[in-house]
Amino acid sequence: MELPIRISKDSREPIYHQIVNQFKALIAGGHLAAGTPLPSIRVLSKDLEISIITTRRAYQDLEVQGFIKTLQGKGTFVADVSEDLKQDVKVTSVHNILENAVQTSLSFDYSVQQVKEIFLEILESYESKKGDN
Amino acid sequence: MNPILYIRDLEKTIDDFHLGPLDLSIEQGTITALVGNNGSGKSTLLKLIMNLVKPDKGNIKVHNTLVHGDNESWKELVAYQPQKIIGWDPFTGYTLKNLIAPLYPNWDDKQFQKIVEIFDIPLHKKFGKLSQGVQQKLNLALTIPRNASLLILDEPTSYMDIPSKKLLIDLLVDWMEPGNRSIIISSHQIDDIRKLSDYLYVLHNGKKIGHFEKEELVENYARYWLSSKAPNNIPGEVSREDGVLISSNPEETEAYLVEHNIRWTNRSSLEIEDVITLLLSKNNTIGGSQHGSHVNS
Repeated sequence: MELPIRISKDSREPIYHQIVNQFKALIAGGHLAAGTPLPSIRVLSKDLEISIITTRRAYQDLEVQGFIKTLQGKGTFVADVSEDLKQDVKVTSVHNILENAVQTSLSFDYSVQQVKEIFLEILESYESKKGDN
Repeated sequence: MNPILYIRDLEKTIDDFHLGPLDLSIEQGTITALVGNNGSGKSTLLKLIMNLVKPDKGNIKVHNTLVHGDNESWKELVAYQPQKIIGWDPFTGYTLKNLIAPLYPNWDDKQFQKIVEIFDIPLHKKFGKLSQGVQQKLNLALTIPRNASLLILDEPTSYMDIPSKKLLIDLLVDWMEPGNRSIIISSHQIDDIRKLSDYLYVLHNGKKIGHFEKEELVENYARYWLSSKAPNNIPGEVSREDGVLISSNPEETEAYLVEHNIRWTNRSSLEIEDVITLLLSKNNTIGGSQHGSHVNS
């Protein structure tokens, strides 16, 4: 199975970190159910065009954090992740995305007040869409 | 863990070509791409490892056994595919298989059949009658199933078509699955480097440029689109064209740019082929010691 994981080499976020975060999001979002077999380190390294050193580091991180488990001789699988942990991931990822958006805006010399206005505008457009339904 | 291959202070002079001094360690479970310009000594290095060429200086050990000693037990641990094979022309694939397979105790006949099938190799034809691409395929079919701990491939796909190259990458990825095997592959194919390699061992005209972990090597470089005028020779700068600066030390470069109030509109990473081109360019001034990414070997 090819996973919908895409790494950006231009990002300042280390590659192993990108992999860890995308796996977490896929697991927390219910796209990868508990027990789903994952590609071997070698296969994922080929697919993502990175070294096994980086992939191994990502898998070790995910295992320590309880998102995946490795069964000797059988391979790597998605672990049974508690709802609390899934919730944490969702909260963190939404928080990070919004923070990134704010940082991008500020780097374009927007003021905090302007960012707030844009953000409210977007929210309002969603609220009015909801009202239409 | 003991390295499967260990090279120290290796040197060899052939006519006016000098190779070395070279150091290299290969760990189990890893794939190393041997990269260099034409005539950089890649094939000579591989022949030295196989004891087909004698070193002038230095040591080569496979699993702790010197390859140029009396004990030849190491030969079982290595499967080597040279670029050119001499003496196979009059034999068919069937004959060659029957000659080669009994020499290797770990020969995997299922693997052989599988490779013959996916590459569609005609075993009844004489080796000399096959096209160069099919010769390479048959050669692979006679090398990979030896299931040695270390597989050494010298430009194995140079004549192969694009789909076959992709099939070989998948085959080798599959072959690596047990986790304790290693591959050294000399190649000019960018896909071999991107999709297979964990490490790059880079040679330029017989000199070692470096032994790099793939991502660390790429992370050592960045490209900046400068939006204001900047003086020449900024720290880390390796090239500049029309306001686009390439740095081999992004941290130093950025510190300088910030300090001197020079702005940039964009920053991007380099592709691995760009990095290799820089490493192998003639006026390459990047001394190995400046690289933070050297593998400790």
